[in-house]
Amino acid sequence: MNASSQSALTVANVGVTIGDKVILRDISLAVKPGEFVAIIGPNGAGKSTLLRGLRGLGAISAGTVQVFGQSIHTMGDKQLARTIAYMQQEVNIGFGFTALEIVLAGRYPYLKWWQNEENEDYEIAKKYMAFTGVEALADKSVRQVSGGERQRILLAKVLAQETPLIFLDEPTASLDLVYQEEIFRYCQLMCQEGKMVFIIAHDIKLAAKFCTRLILLTGGTILADGKPEDVITTENLEKAYGLHSAVFINKVTGNLDIHTYKAAGTTTRQPSVHVIGGGGSAGTIMRLLHEKAYTLSGGVFQQGDTDTDVALAFGIQAIVGQPFCVIDKIQGRENREKMLAADFTVLSNLYYGQQNLANLEAAFAAPKLIIIEDTAIEERDFTGGKATKLYRDLLTLPQVTVLNSMQFAAQIADGEFKQVCGQ
Amino acid sequence: MTGRVKNKAAFFAGMTVLLLIVILFSLAWGQVSVPIDAAMTVIGKQLHLPGLDGTGVTPEQTSVIWHIRMPRTLVGLLVGAALSVSGAVMQGVFGNSLADPGIIGVSSGAALGAVIAIALGVTANGIFYMPVFALTGALLAVGLTVALAMRDGKIPVMVLLLAGVAVSMLMGALTSGILTFMNENRLREFLFWVVGGLDYRRWEHVYLAAGPIIIGILILFLLARHLNIMVLGDQEARSVGVPVAFFRLILLVISALTTATAVCVSGTIGFVGLVVPHIMRLLLGPEHRTLLPACALAGGLFLVACDTLGRLVIPPSEVRVGIMTALLGAPYFLYLLRKSQKGGGLS
Repeated sequence: MNASSQSALTVANVGVTIGDKVILRDISLAVKPGEFVAIIGPNGAGKSTLLRGLRGLGAISAGTVQVFGQSIHTMGDKQLARTIAYMQQEVNIGFGFTALEIVLAGRYPYLKWWQNEENEDYEIAKKYMAFTGVEALADKSVRQVSGGERQRILLAKVLAQETPLIFLDEPTASLDLVYQEEIFRYCQLMCQEGKMVFIIAHDIKLAAKFCTRLILLTGGTILADGKPEDVITTENLEKAYGLHSAVFINKVTGNLDIHTYKAAGTTTRQPSVHVIGGGGSAGTIMRLLHEKAYTLSGGVFQQGDTDTDVALAFGIQAIVGQPFCVIDKIQGRENREKMLAADFTVLSNLYYGQQNLANLEAAFAAPKLIIIEDTAIEERDFTGGKATKLYRDLLTLPQVTVLNSMQFAAQIADGEFKQVCGQ
Repeated sequence: MTGRVKNKAAFFAGMTVLLLIVILFSLAWGQVSVPIDAAMTVIGKQLHLPGLDGTGVTPEQTSVIWHIRMPRTLVGLLVGAALSVSGAVMQGVFGNSLADPGIIGVSSGAALGAVIAIALGVTANGIFYMPVFALTGALLAVGLTVALAMRDGKIPVMVLLLAGVAVSMLMGALTSGILTFMNENRLREFLFWVVGGLDYRRWEHVYLAAGPIIIGILILFLLARHLNIMVLGDQEARSVGVPVAFFRLILLVISALTTATAVCVSGTIGFVGLVVPHIMRLLLGPEHRTLLPACALAGGLFLVACDTLGRLVIPPSEVRVGIMTALLGAPYFLYLLRKSQKGGGLS
């Protein structure tokens, strides 16, 4: 078949059943050389079982696994070891072998049973030790090295097998942040050289940052398979991990980021809230309310404003205007409509200029209004007194409650918010 | 860094020289004291080396050196090497530096075989009856252990260990059971066997033991590189293409055969298979291609040295070598244990 000869690894309908328990079912995928694939998923999803099964180290009860078109079950022990390298999760190295001795173990599949390692094998071992930065540890006992050094020694061993396919079962577990990234970076380099790396990762963000493809495994089957941004979605994370989350592009790092929170745990319908904000003043308010399952809308924010990003990440309807432009009539009207539709409105601790004065004017339309005041209005007024006057007028209205951010947060956390709103 | 010996060639040369010195002393010392040069002359003459015709040695010296002490020393070398190398291999297979061939039932099986031979009274018929019975017992015990542990073509280390304990206890119970029905003379004979010794070993014993032990040790040397990988654990070994179950079975069988042969000619001698590999691993590291030859040399050296000391401590009586090894080995072992507790973790 043409398709299978192109792909490095072809897995068709693989299932694993141990006793009566179905661990994996219906796993099908094809991976090409150069792909850097992470298997993610909650504990017990069957990630390690899958990796062991694909390497031929664990029995599979259904389906086929082919490497470059050849079934792994027709391959000999050493031939398989020359094709797929496998790094297990926890390696307990008995006795005090030196780092070099460990890495040389990767040359085993190339030697006849009576042969000893030749100069070439030593050179290959040293080359990969240099690649992972552990050449200086060659004569050191693996018991005397740090966790990060040990993982890099084991990675060098796996590389010394010089296989086109590399399987790594959570190589970053128990490593410092620096080493975690480093392992992913080595893998990325290897993929650029045309190898295929299959890695089990717990850190979804790290996997999304480095891998070209993610496979989300849950309950023994593939929930999603594709580019990181297509796999890491709020819906998938909820299905796989039961997590409430917001997925967004972190503007500081430019990477996919995930914010997770505990579900509100309430079944009664929470009131709907419209948040007036902008310039980052409404972000925390929206997050707190969203996590307590309030139905939210927001506006008028500006493009590129963090409030806009927060609204986007949580899937909150937001009215967004052009940056550094005066809020136009249509947006102003929309803002008022949202207020009327909501059970109550929150006005954030906004700074006022000519562009966003309309937000303050609109607040008069709110049937119920909570004003968040952390800073005196005079300090936030860049309109020459216009905003201060409006604000003072607003405060005289009967439907208005004034709170500072701390009070507001505490009341939301306690669920007393409804009382404040007179509900 | 690792505290290992750097120059391995020098280490082996030193060990060989030390071994030769110990051999010479073991030949020269004893109830009949023979000067070392006379001892060397006797050996030279027996080996038909030229240029020794003029030098005179008494017939008594010749018979003491060549017919009494030489076979005894050679058996000591063979047995010491066999026990140490098998011990090192077992520790590798089990991934535990406290393992020895006794753990899979070799010694208890051999003891059962020996006690059966004694109970049947066949030992009086010739010196080969006892070894054959002991060897059979050892192999049956190991076979039973492996058969109990093997499932789906795999031999899990943990199950093997437990099966070994169970089989050893079974063999021990049968041995004790038979002992309770034996008369005093035969009990004495068994006791003499169970406390291993090298006294009264003759050239026949050398011929009997040399073949199996030397072949066994050579095969284990050849498999040393595979053992290195197996020590890293099942998954690790399988992932680089080692047929783990196959090599584990071969290593178990060969080291059990080698040990059983040693036990047959010398009775049970403890601590050699435990202490010698342990010290060698501390000095040379766990690389089995250097560790196993070093164990062979050091094991022979240790056993012959213990035997020679045993002959000297309370003349004219002898302390049997099995007691000497335990007397020297146990305290050293405890010392290692304490030291590793302080250092954290057994090596």
